[in-house]
Amino acid sequence: MPETAIRRRDQDTGAVSDPLIERVRQAEAGLTALLRDAERARELRAEMSAKCSSAVCAWNYFENIPTFYNWNNRPR
Amino acid sequence: MVTRERRVVPGMRGIASVPTYVVMQPTTLCNLNCTYCYLPFRSQQRRMSVRVAAAVAEAVNTWAAERRFSVVWHGGEPLAIGRRHLAELLAPFSSDVEHHVQTNATLIDDAWCEFFAEHRIRVSVSVDGPRERNAYRVDRGGKLSYDRVMAGIAALRRHEIPFSVLCVVSRPEPELAAELYAYFLELGCEVLGINIEEREGVNQRGNAHPEAAVVGFWRELVAAWRRDPRIHVREIEWTLRYVAAVLDDTVDDLLPAQLDPIPTIGYDGSVVLLSPELAGFTDPRYGDFTSGNVLETPLPELLAEPERTPWISEFLAGVEACRATCPYFGFCGGAHAANRYFEHGRFDGTVTDHCRNSKIRLLEGVLEHARDGDPSA
Repeated sequence: MPETAIRRRDQDTGAVSDPLIERVRQAEAGLTALLRDAERARELRAEMSAKCSSAVCAWNYFENIPTFYNWNNRPR
Repeated sequence: MVTRERRVVPGMRGIASVPTYVVMQPTTLCNLNCTYCYLPFRSQQRRMSVRVAAAVAEAVNTWAAERRFSVVWHGGEPLAIGRRHLAELLAPFSSDVEHHVQTNATLIDDAWCEFFAEHRIRVSVSVDGPRERNAYRVDRGGKLSYDRVMAGIAALRRHEIPFSVLCVVSRPEPELAAELYAYFLELGCEVLGINIEEREGVNQRGNAHPEAAVVGFWRELVAAWRRDPRIHVREIEWTLRYVAAVLDDTVDDLLPAQLDPIPTIGYDGSVVLLSPELAGFTDPRYGDFTSGNVLETPLPELLAEPERTPWISEFLAGVEACRATCPYFGFCGGAHAANRYFEHGRFDGTVTDHCRNSKIRLLEGVLEHARDGDPSA
């Protein structure tokens, strides 16, 4: 992994430098298109209302399935 | 001159005293003998007593009265205990509690489907893709389990019981992704979770893979999903949640404030926190990894001071080490306890091969897909 890729704060400007977040932002155009497609897909699914089609709302769906949603520390 | 200080990713500080679910091991027995399985004692029928279930239910019913709460019947193969005994174990739990079962599906028939419906049990099935991808899922005679799994899934479909799938991928390669996704679309599962095989428990097979192969696997899985996104894919949804939070500038709210203790209750009432994969193991340094037994101490009391269990305080130091050193911490939340132990032999190491395969390269695969543009266009 990139050694420099830890979040840092510029003491002069207060701005946070985080190489991973910067890399995500550099892919913003492609990611935005992907997120838009994902949102459209969720709107078509029966369990999701159009009011709840964001990535966070989609993840909430996984709360129905504990072995799935608790991705950070979960049983396999 | 510009000097910079490290900014700390918030979240995952310590362990919550109330879990969101518990894992129950109704029996150690499994009727299969999958070659990658981490479970010890899976050839032995050690059954959970109703006394253990009642002790767990006492705490769980209180939590479930206040908020959504689930019990996951894991294993061994939980259905191997039989409907009658499983019904006895379910009985102490209030109707507020949601029940889930993770099963190999080989025992599912019409009677089990009626049981699932009667007890409102949600079902997740373990299957690794088309027949030829299930070579490791065998019984004790070495016979493939695939036909029996398909018979079980056919019963679920006949009864219109929705199901999720957990799929173990032993050799992640780009060309496998589209094949797997097409298979699971056809199978009709609602949700798919991909577990890259892990080195843990009694499974000591290595899990180091070439970086390009694993990144390519995730990249191609995203591409396949995007062409027909009818299934929820756990890993893709989580990654989209992360990148959406980055782009919305809300990434600091992403990780939970504290780790979920996820108590696993062994057949005998022993409690292992955080990683069910540690249940049943002992180590000269860490003992049996348990934090007590529900037959001797109420579960809330066992969860009150988790750091009293020596390996857990070492694990929490490991989480802080991940936070301090790993650029992916904000996405991942730290390496899992069992992966640290079974890969490093201790809990305060940081990056594992599981992190590489299932977290780091997942995110990189999604980014690669995004950078390359929409391949379906």
